[in-house]
Amino acid sequence: MIIAMSKVRVLGPRERLTEVLRTLQDLTLLHLAPPEVSPGAPLGRASLGTSQERERRHLQQVLADIDAGLHELHLRPTPAAVAQSGAPAAAAFVRWARLAWRVRREVERLRLQIVALEEEKALILKYQQFFSAFRALLEAETHWPNATAYHVLVRGSDAGAIPKLRASLAAAIGADFEVYTQPLASGEIALLIVVAAPAARRVEQLLAQAQVQEIPVPAQYGGGGLAQAIPRMLERLGQIPSARDQAVRRQQQLAREHGAELIRARAAVHDRLRELEAVPLTGVTPHAFVLEGWVPTRSRRTLEDRLAAQYGEAVAVEEISIEEWASEAAPVVLSNPRLLRPFETLVGVFPLPHYGTIDPTPFVAVFFPAFFGLMVGDIGYGLVLALIGLALHHWSRPGTLLRTVSEIIGPCALFTIIAGFLFGEFFGDVGSRLGLKPLAFDRHEAMIPFLLLAVSLGVVHILLGMSLGIASTIRRHPREALGRGVSTIMVVLVILALLAAVNVLPKSFFTPMVIGLLIAFPALIVLEGIVAPIELLSTLGNILSYARIMALGIASVMLAVVANKMVGAIGSLAVGVVFALLFHLVNFAIALFSPTVHALRLHYVEFFGKFYSPGGVRYQPFGHWTPARPAA
Amino acid sequence: MEAVLITLAAALAVAVPALATAWAQSRIGTAAAAALAEKPELRTTAILMIAIPETMVILGFVVAAAILFR
Repeated sequence: MIIAMSKVRVLGPRERLTEVLRTLQDLTLLHLAPPEVSPGAPLGRASLGTSQERERRHLQQVLADIDAGLHELHLRPTPAAVAQSGAPAAAAFVRWARLAWRVRREVERLRLQIVALEEEKALILKYQQFFSAFRALLEAETHWPNATAYHVLVRGSDAGAIPKLRASLAAAIGADFEVYTQPLASGEIALLIVVAAPAARRVEQLLAQAQVQEIPVPAQYGGGGLAQAIPRMLERLGQIPSARDQAVRRQQQLAREHGAELIRARAAVHDRLRELEAVPLTGVTPHAFVLEGWVPTRSRRTLEDRLAAQYGEAVAVEEISIEEWASEAAPVVLSNPRLLRPFETLVGVFPLPHYGTIDPTPFVAVFFPAFFGLMVGDIGYGLVLALIGLALHHWSRPGTLLRTVSEIIGPCALFTIIAGFLFGEFFGDVGSRLGLKPLAFDRHEAMIPFLLLAVSLGVVHILLGMSLGIASTIRRHPREALGRGVSTIMVVLVILALLAAVNVLPKSFFTPMVIGLLIAFPALIVLEGIVAPIELLSTLGNILSYARIMALGIASVMLAVVANKMVGAIGSLAVGVVFALLFHLVNFAIALFSPTVHALRLHYVEFFGKFYSPGGVRYQPFGHWTPARPAA
Repeated sequence: MEAVLITLAAALAVAVPALATAWAQSRIGTAAAAALAEKPELRTTAILMIAIPETMVILGFVVAAAILFR
């Protein structure tokens, strides 16, 4: 349900505004809303002073420094780690600002250092293969002081080009050169071409014309050829791990020394920023302040008592009459019993409902497991699902998505087992082979009764949705509610007429129902407009859509029966059992996914479409900042 | 002959909507994959959108059942 809200006005002397805001922040009850300011009235909207604005910008910078520092140190604040211990002194903010800046600067330097070291290592490793190939050749390079060496890689498939290269070089510069080759593990061929210094220019031209590129020597090891660079690179490769470890150790040390304080500082800075951001939501006169907002009706007395106890008659709290505010503007908070609360997650896929409309959570909590159960409808699958739910519940923490899923699985498993007894199914037809009798009907055989059951559920669900639609609009939009009422009556009349036509009801019902429809039709057009008949047809289509419960249910039982037939169909019993288990596993996986999606769809499209009014504002009381809980 | 025609009618009642559903799901699936690349938080909506055209084949199945078990 959507809990009732009261709009209140808090009035007091202007010099005590900051103090009152702190009290309200401690209380975490009032959802602030800016008061209405009329032109010419003495009441104006408060704004931050120059020093407050400067403080706000400074705190945002501090927050950015803290966030960057914590991110680099891989620290994540938890609600327990930021427990409040009173408002911090101004000196604490100054200390935190310095600390955050210093830590951010150092951790960013360390990160860049680590990245640079890793890149350098990767670069050297890239050359490592060349080292081993060229080492023997490079030793020869040093023996020619008046020679120039070129280091080239040739693809293995181009090995035939090497004799041509020799021939070209011989034609161009005569015998003043030597070509050394060495195959590499990668399939390429390493070439060291040594030529007499005077012929170097001509060789470079030849290599350029042939588009043969030399292996570049990294600049930081330059000052010579590969022969000089390789020993330096190898030496550096040995130094990199210790340099990296040193940087990582320094990061860990920073996290140990300053992590906890930075997390505390983050919470305090957020709190102070919230305080400053609340100022423009305040109305002020030269001598007084006015704060307006919503508080849950059941907590209004707590707010009044606390402010009275702390400020006496200096601060007054008055309730604003419900006629003075639009219900669409009121914030929404859902409050459901413990058992129903997990289903708020399913409703949460949609934006919150408007205040004053209906929270569909209780209906989802009943119908979603029921639809799921009817689609799967197997005692065996239900038991396996229950075990999975118990395991998830055991391994998950309270408040996490996994825990919520486990709590939704529980009722779904229960309804699956109940439906399993109704249809006499235990891993398909294993139950009937063991003597299990269906309490209602056998889905395998009785498709039409199952179809009627599914469509009947659709009728109930859709009529419930339409009734909720009437209930949620009757107070604010009575004409719309009347139109919806006529539409609902027409759906009922159509269904009764159809039942009379197929002899489920006495034939004598048919004519009165048709007359009723003919009377209601003009009323519907007048109230709902020309599109109303289309809406009516769409509603009848929505009811038929519930046939998917039957379709998926039949598919599920058929797959289970096919799985069981594997045991007899394959020669070996053991192989048959393995195949049967695999088939059941596939069917179970489908049974988890498909019925969930279709049960949700029946709610979101067919049911919610009849009454749900999304667009509500989330209730966010002015309070202390707390970090979000981890998702799982 | 009548039995053959009844069976053929039931088969067509499922097959034609199944093809239509497959075509619709392929289009929605492509769009959903593109949307999810931009906004992963839309995954629940995307799955539901993909399930919407299945109504066609489900109604086809109902019609087929009605033809076979009339």
